[in-house]
Amino acid sequence: MKINGSYTVPIPRDQAYKLLQDPAILAKCMPGTDHLEKIGEDEYEMKMKMAIASFSGLFTGKVKIADAHPPDSFTLLVEGSGKVGFLKGSGLLNLTPQEGATEVKYEGDVQVGGTIAAVGQRLLESTSKMIIKKFFEKFSEAASQQTT
Amino acid sequence: MATTTITKTEKLVGKAMRRQEDPRLITGSATYVDDIQMPGMHHACILRSPHGAANIKSVDISAALAHPGVAAVYVGKDTEKVGPVPCGASLPGLRVPHHYILAIDRVYFIGHPVAVVVATDKYIARDAVDLIEVEYETLQAVTDPEKAIAAGAPPVHPEWPDNVAFNYHQEGGDVDAAFAAAEVVVKQRITSQRLIPSSMETRGVVADYNTGDKALTIWSSTQIPHLMRTLVAQMLGAPEHKVRVVTPEVGGGFGSKLNVYAEEALMGFVAMKLGHPVKWIESRRENCMCTIHGRGHVDYFEVAAKKDGTILGIKLKLIQDLGAYHQLLTPAIPTLSVLMMPGLYRCQNVRADIVGAFTNAVPTDAYRGAGRPEATHGIERMVDILAAELNMDPAEIRLKNFIHNDEFPYATGTGLSYDSGNYAAPLHKAMDLVGYHNLRDEQKKARGEGRLMGIGLSTYGEICAFGPSPATPAGGWESATVKIEPSGMVTVMTGSSPHGQGEETTFAQITADELGVGIDDVIVLHGDTAIVQYGIGTFGSRGTAVGGTAVYFALQELKKKIKKYGAMLLESEDVSFSDGVCVCNKSGKTVTLAEIAGASHRAMKLPPGTQPGMVETYFWEPPNFAFPFGAHAVVTEVNRETGDIEIKRYVAVDDCGNIINPLIVAGQVHGGVVQGLGQALWEQAVYDDNGQLVTGEFMDYAIPRASMIPWIETEHTTTPSPVNPLGVKGVGEAGTIGCSPAVVNSVVDALSTLGIRHIDMPMTPEKIWNLMEGGRA
Amino acid sequence: MISQQFEYSAPASLQEALELLSKEGAKPLAGGMSLIPMMKLRLAAPEQLIDIGRLKELNYIRRDGEEMHIGAGTTHWDVESSPIVRAHCPLLSETVGNIGDIQVRNRGTIGGSAAHADPSADYPAAFCALEARFKLVKKGGERIVGASDFFVDMLTTALEQGEIIAEVIVPVEKQGTGVSYQKCVQPASGFAIVGVAVRVSHDFVRIGVTGLGAKAYRAANAEEIYASTRDASKAAAVVAEGADSNSDIHASASYRKHLAKIYTQRALKEAASRMG
Repeated sequence: MKINGSYTVPIPRDQAYKLLQDPAILAKCMPGTDHLEKIGEDEYEMKMKMAIASFSGLFTGKVKIADAHPPDSFTLLVEGSGKVGFLKGSGLLNLTPQEGATEVKYEGDVQVGGTIAAVGQRLLESTSKMIIKKFFEKFSEAASQQTT
Repeated sequence: MATTTITKTEKLVGKAMRRQEDPRLITGSATYVDDIQMPGMHHACILRSPHGAANIKSVDISAALAHPGVAAVYVGKDTEKVGPVPCGASLPGLRVPHHYILAIDRVYFIGHPVAVVVATDKYIARDAVDLIEVEYETLQAVTDPEKAIAAGAPPVHPEWPDNVAFNYHQEGGDVDAAFAAAEVVVKQRITSQRLIPSSMETRGVVADYNTGDKALTIWSSTQIPHLMRTLVAQMLGAPEHKVRVVTPEVGGGFGSKLNVYAEEALMGFVAMKLGHPVKWIESRRENCMCTIHGRGHVDYFEVAAKKDGTILGIKLKLIQDLGAYHQLLTPAIPTLSVLMMPGLYRCQNVRADIVGAFTNAVPTDAYRGAGRPEATHGIERMVDILAAELNMDPAEIRLKNFIHNDEFPYATGTGLSYDSGNYAAPLHKAMDLVGYHNLRDEQKKARGEGRLMGIGLSTYGEICAFGPSPATPAGGWESATVKIEPSGMVTVMTGSSPHGQGEETTFAQITADELGVGIDDVIVLHGDTAIVQYGIGTFGSRGTAVGGTAVYFALQELKKKIKKYGAMLLESEDVSFSDGVCVCNKSGKTVTLAEIAGASHRAMKLPPGTQPGMVETYFWEPPNFAFPFGAHAVVTEVNRETGDIEIKRYVAVDDCGNIINPLIVAGQVHGGVVQGLGQALWEQAVYDDNGQLVTGEFMDYAIPRASMIPWIETEHTTTPSPVNPLGVKGVGEAGTIGCSPAVVNSVVDALSTLGIRHIDMPMTPEKIWNLMEGGRA
Repeated sequence: MISQQFEYSAPASLQEALELLSKEGAKPLAGGMSLIPMMKLRLAAPEQLIDIGRLKELNYIRRDGEEMHIGAGTTHWDVESSPIVRAHCPLLSETVGNIGDIQVRNRGTIGGSAAHADPSADYPAAFCALEARFKLVKKGGERIVGASDFFVDMLTTALEQGEIIAEVIVPVEKQGTGVSYQKCVQPASGFAIVGVAVRVSHDFVRIGVTGLGAKAYRAANAEEIYASTRDASKAAAVVAEGADSNSDIHASASYRKHLAKIYTQRALKEAASRMG
């Protein structure tokens, strides 16, 4: 499944770049995640409790940052698995300055498997959009708090 | 004791009778596998691969084993010696991967069984499955058969990196000369998508091992109890005579239960290990993922013809999506497509090349029609494409090319002998019924108004009544035993294994007529290897044509014995038997069947050289297949705004030879057409590039519902088969085979003014809309 | 297809239900048409189910002046077959008759459908066009929320933990209003690929759209154009404007947007033809 889109966060690019790679911030903004454990250079282990309406699932997985080109772009690799299925995704994030704010463009590919892929087909794309939207909403909020 | 005293003269064969089996089915008093309860019964739940392709690095079952109520957990290593899951088909050079009943160190398709949990109830078993930890190393999967055989594709089985399971070539006549002489050649790539058979009852197995007798009983929802007994005994290394297979009620199979699966042997293994009965019932998700799929063809057709429409030659390159393994008949199914590729046409010059492609998907195998719907879809589309190319009427081009009535038996270019036929008759009848020529006028008018109306025809032939034993993998005969009980009541035991075909009724009709008893005086037993003599089963539209014929012959033998006893009791050599009574032709004295049956069991006196009792068994070997045929006509209208297809008329004229029960035949045609419509319009099993089955439930896999089905008008022509004395040909698959090309031809006809020549199935509204948008540009 | 273990309670009164629902991990069960399949697939694993489907207090249809009050536990079939609804809120009757199949309509409830907020459910299109209001209750609290605030995102509503819908309030249709619900059915699930609910009179138009985006919405732009031009195709042309369209194997985003226009046209035309 291809995903792409963009979101504008209300902080300058250098700061946005830094915060988008800050494990504490990422943990705060990823839905259902409260902690990222560093397991290597730019690589973290996570536990994520996803809950959308009555759906709930516990995932364990990894987040990795690669191809870092500060402050323009980096690739985020995420993989997680749980009893209801697994997901594996990579996304290229491009940051463009915009008058004190930053436009973050993302473009990536997500593989979903297991029960969620077999029975959630109808809602998969909308769900990923919603999760990404939630992430950036929280991120903007967290970023604003950092600056104030 | 109740005795048969009323004799009857009304013939039941040919009469539309309600089914004898329906009261129990409708009132819920039938017994399916899941209805079986036994003391001490355990329940199994299977852990399956969530990946299309992966190496298994480790399996940790400790938490599952420790879960209260769990009796055992088995993984691939434990069952390594059981099996393999059998492939009954053989082709030259066929590559057969060893199909373990549980994956050992690699999984090959989503749903591949990895471990089994056995527990005291099914809820515990399911919970414990979640406690098994499997570490997978995922591998690149390939699910598209054309991509699989292309260079550089990831190998499904590392030992065969080209993913080719077999190449098969068949040729008749002089194809090159035919194409050299052609005035016109049409070519088209035609697909028949993967389908999920979706029987109402999923699969299910109960196994019980008697440790004292060392005897195993397996209850399974199957179409082939005897073959399963032989094969499961082999898989388990158990002596065949101590394995009993019982087929209780079967809630639909459509070919998907013409198989022996890992689970039958697995449950046998578990029951033997634990000494407890064990039950496994397949969930709907498992049914979608792990029971065979049907179709899965990519066909490249070429047809050579003269300008007057005479077909000269046919070429076919067929890529069969096999899935990851061969199930019972997987590689044989596309060879049936090749046999039927010339359809009803007098074309001797045929060449076919099949490539069997391994993919990371559940195996394909027989699904209603099994190879023949694909063949018919191909040739019937090609004939329409040729007609369009030559600007001929699709009916005219068919009539021009049909095999003539005086040419039967007709030897085809693919090596078959068509038994009997009158191919123009159903086409004319269908055209009359639908009002073909008026419709063409209406179509002109509709086009003038900007409406997209289409008229589609298909004429199909199918190879049925499987079949002569030399042409089948496991014997093509069928067996019957007929017993007359001391009271005169009649018990028929058939080797067929009906599961919706109504043979408990049709066989009783045949029996009632032959013996002159009422239909309620006959019971038809089947599906228990401890009760019924060895038989083959129900598939390939063979039930009545082969199984019914065996009953007929057993009855003829029995009638000889009846007459012997009648002669003795009437003290005359000159007796005849009809309508349930033996008559002395001289004195006019009579003795009833019940009296004869009683006398044969009391055996106070025996006719010379005759045994007591009243039982005969007959194993009938058919000398040939039977070849039903027919014509379907479909009127559609396509909505220009949305691409929605409305079926305005559906006419099916079938010729299945003589008809035993018109009500059952109509039911078979209706059901067949519905499944054909499913393929034409809605159904498709979709795997993504990673091997995930994204249509893994009925939320996304669109099987037809009653509200989606148009009124189906059925009619018949009758051309008896000379192959069997009943003159029957088979009708179980006819509706499906005739349907999809007629529907697609109709929609292509509707869109032909936009320059559209072919549409692949399923014809979803979005696909049609995109074509119309492109066509308009 | 076996769910995880859960506790089940069938409270005898709404008050008792709200008490039970106020506890962490409790989940209300009404008709179970969405929740039970999710549980059987183990995609949902609530610890405690509070069965509110049996509460008579939530099962009623009554007219009160210019408003219809429908208890949240009223089944689709009860709404569909209600002469009062047919007479006073025909859009609801028409919409509800399009839900799933008769088995689903016999069990599914109006409150359950709203609370689940499936992006392809039929009811929300009508709720938007009707500017329905939801009476939400929880232990010690009650509030009224309008449809536009109630539907927040895909499968997400304004409901808080422990809060349930008690009642759906819709207006009694005025004389001279024509209504229509037009739906493109997804053949497998029976959900709407798109569904458009319209109410129109000589001085008024409301358009609710489901299936297209993450949540059902009122197509205000299309309403404005129709109000000023009375031209169904002009209005329909803008109905999908700005919508982030859903996409799946049954319909791509662009086809969905196209269908939204077609079905909006059809609904507007049919509703206009039904104006008294």
